[in-house]
Amino acid sequence: MISSLQRIIVIGRNTLTEAVRQKVLNVLLIFAVVLVSCSVFISQLATPGLDPAGLFDEQIKFVKDFGCGAIGFFGFFIALLSTALLIPQELHNRTIYTILAKPVRRSEFLLGKFFGIILLLALCISLMSLAFVVTLYVQEQVGLGVVDSTYERMGDWKNNPHIVAMHDHDAAIIISQVRDPQLVEAVVLLFAKIVMTAAIALLISTFATSWIFTVITTFMIYLIAHAEGLARTFWLSQGAESTIWQSALVGLISMLIPDMNSFTIVDEILAGNHIPWSHALNLLAYANIYVIVLLAVSIVIFDYREI
Amino acid sequence: MGAITKIRTMESSAVTAPTLAVETIGLTKRYPLTWKRKVLVALDSLNLQVKQGEVFGLLGPNGSGKSTTLKLLLGLIVASEGEARVFGLPPDSLDARRRVGFLPENPYFYAFLNGDETLRFYGKLCGVTGAKLDKRIEELIDLVGLQNGRERPLRSYSKGMLQRIGLAQALIHDPDLLFLDEPTAGVDPLGSAQIRDLILRLKKMGKTVIFSSHLLEQVQEVADRVAIFSLGKKVLEGSLESLLTENQSTQVLIPAEMNAEQQDRLRQFIARDGVDAQAIRFTRPHLSLEQLYLRTVQAQPDAAKDSPKP
Amino acid sequence: MTTLPLAIRLRRALLIALILGLWAPFKIAWEQNLAKQQDALRYNGIVMTRRLRDDLGQGLTIGVLSGMRNIVADLIWLQVTTAWEDQEWFRMGGLINLCTSLQPRAPVFWDLGGWQLAWNASVAASHDPKQPDELRRLKAGRFWVDKGLDVYLRGLENNPQYWRLWSDTAMLYQQRLKDYHKAAYYYQQASERPNAPAYLERFPAIMYGLAGDDQAAYDSWKALWERLTPAQREMKEHWKEKIESNIRQLEQKLSIPKEKRVFPN
Repeated sequence: MISSLQRIIVIGRNTLTEAVRQKVLNVLLIFAVVLVSCSVFISQLATPGLDPAGLFDEQIKFVKDFGCGAIGFFGFFIALLSTALLIPQELHNRTIYTILAKPVRRSEFLLGKFFGIILLLALCISLMSLAFVVTLYVQEQVGLGVVDSTYERMGDWKNNPHIVAMHDHDAAIIISQVRDPQLVEAVVLLFAKIVMTAAIALLISTFATSWIFTVITTFMIYLIAHAEGLARTFWLSQGAESTIWQSALVGLISMLIPDMNSFTIVDEILAGNHIPWSHALNLLAYANIYVIVLLAVSIVIFDYREI
Repeated sequence: MGAITKIRTMESSAVTAPTLAVETIGLTKRYPLTWKRKVLVALDSLNLQVKQGEVFGLLGPNGSGKSTTLKLLLGLIVASEGEARVFGLPPDSLDARRRVGFLPENPYFYAFLNGDETLRFYGKLCGVTGAKLDKRIEELIDLVGLQNGRERPLRSYSKGMLQRIGLAQALIHDPDLLFLDEPTAGVDPLGSAQIRDLILRLKKMGKTVIFSSHLLEQVQEVADRVAIFSLGKKVLEGSLESLLTENQSTQVLIPAEMNAEQQDRLRQFIARDGVDAQAIRFTRPHLSLEQLYLRTVQAQPDAAKDSPKP
Repeated sequence: MTTLPLAIRLRRALLIALILGLWAPFKIAWEQNLAKQQDALRYNGIVMTRRLRDDLGQGLTIGVLSGMRNIVADLIWLQVTTAWEDQEWFRMGGLINLCTSLQPRAPVFWDLGGWQLAWNASVAASHDPKQPDELRRLKAGRFWVDKGLDVYLRGLENNPQYWRLWSDTAMLYQQRLKDYHKAAYYYQQASERPNAPAYLERFPAIMYGLAGDDQAAYDSWKALWERLTPAQREMKEHWKEKIESNIRQLEQKLSIPKEKRVFPN
């Protein structure tokens, strides 16, 4: 058991090393980091003529939305592409022969590769989150500066404790919106979502003949997965008017495709609404079990794949 | 009395019959070619036995089933029919693979790792860790002569260096059985000779070596037994000794030059015992080109161990 | 294109069917549970009004886009500024509606949206140079104030904890609609919300004062004074001098008997 785990970890770390030493990934990552930072500039297209505190609600929302949007977007593509190429590369280069000639089970090999992807995604998300935090901090400082300069225009305000209280309150609003500990929850949920995407890609790649097929199929499943909730509610409450084919199709979607729409709860977190960790953990547990199911099926398929 | 004789017989048979490293019974592999509606029989009912401590050569043209046999014995592919056993175990079992080392015909390694990292990676996969792994890596680097390449990524290695690292990773866990697929293909004669010496050394250590090669002369130098494959079937098998010896004649080597008259006199002498005098031939013994090359190159003071990639 | 014996292929298919078959009912139940939790979190347990449900009618389109719902809403929101610059109020109203439908729990859309309508659109309409009839201009102005108020109120249904929406609604009642009693109510609600600034707690009483309702103003000041702990009264942001002076003034004005006064001296 332990040696099995050790082998998985060895393969995982090797996979991570391979990805990191590949230039393509680094370029993509730099691009992502830059884009996260650019969200600051998009936020400048905000509504003019408002009092600063109100203005900043809007600007901060923009920075959060586009920053996390970039993280989710790039995370998705990094997950999709790196996982889709995982098995085909090993088969094409035949490096898999050398590994499987060693006392390594096929399942350990597959799990090891996936573990490497998880490490890679964790690394990418961390770097992008760092850029996001820096961007938010810049926005915070800009916001505080605007608040200060607005109060400056009132002349000698620092001696009036009531005005000071108002100023401090305005500043506190900005700081609390930026330094929202719930953002950690948001990033963790985004990470879970892209790991699920990777698991789907892995499953498809175990039987796909080309990596392009894997990419396209996973992408389509990803899109359908956002409508799975609708399919499910329709299927569970269907009337007599649906045909057997409609019913079968919708049923199949409900039973197999994950509900990725549940991750859009991240929107609520970004808008400043409190989503308790109890729900986030519920969602994470769901994602976790789902990934395990996908891995189990992947192992069964891969165990007998011709190489 | 009879009972004692029986026991003695059993003992001696236990001592004289070595265990089999590899055994196949009716091993078959078929690939259906759906677009041609035909079936490709890559290996047809192979019955093979390789004893422990043997050096066994697999010969045959491309597509004759040598690689398929190796892959089946390594557990990389599943047989369509028949059975294969490695040390009495199924080839895809972990216990079997723990005792087996594999040198692939092409460098199926990760090009982004350097020599050290490659050995460390495969070593860990084989369950060799810690100080034992460090020591083993040092030993093997020395053995294959890769000291000046160990820090460089494999993508910068020459073909010869890749074969060396290939051998090193095949040996990292001190296996009892080695599969070498074209071990000297693309390697310069000096390197080939070193590999050949290594095989013989492994044999002395009691290891079993099964290798496939196109280079017939090299096979001849090391193998105890060979099998010749053609179109998926094993056509011929036996010890080199028995296969190659021309039982119809005797070779005598006389280390002196003889003129025509002397040759004739010797001919008459031999013919007196009933040998057909006209069938006796006098020729000059030939060196093999390899022997000449090695003799020449090794005579040079600075014979390079490995030439870096240009 | 497999070369595996039938037995192995069959066993493989059966195993996969087993895994997925066992997972499917759990999956569906779990997803239903998650959806229920999320409905409660998103809509705060409030029953979906018919209007909300109609707005969300384009279910499938939003469903597909819902992976990036908030960004789509933000991009649409950027057009609100353009619509305002172009003075296309109805288009602006439609865009605001769309944004709030996409993300009803983003308070900023309701807040700024209401402001755009009730203030910017309204003022511009009541000074519209293209409309010669003053009555019509005023009517148009009032139309947009009502529209903005509607946005505020719907926003409050969805985001009842957001103090600024209460405060802005109150300000609208106070400054545009001159309904001080309503303003007082909304300021009171605003002051009770989390993170509300302290100065809001004084506004209800001030509103009653503007309305000329001295008794209500007195009650409000008195309730505030009694609500504050002695420690809080000393804090600058609660401005105890102001509260005290107002109470004194009103006790005088209303001739409250000395024994019932907060400040008898």
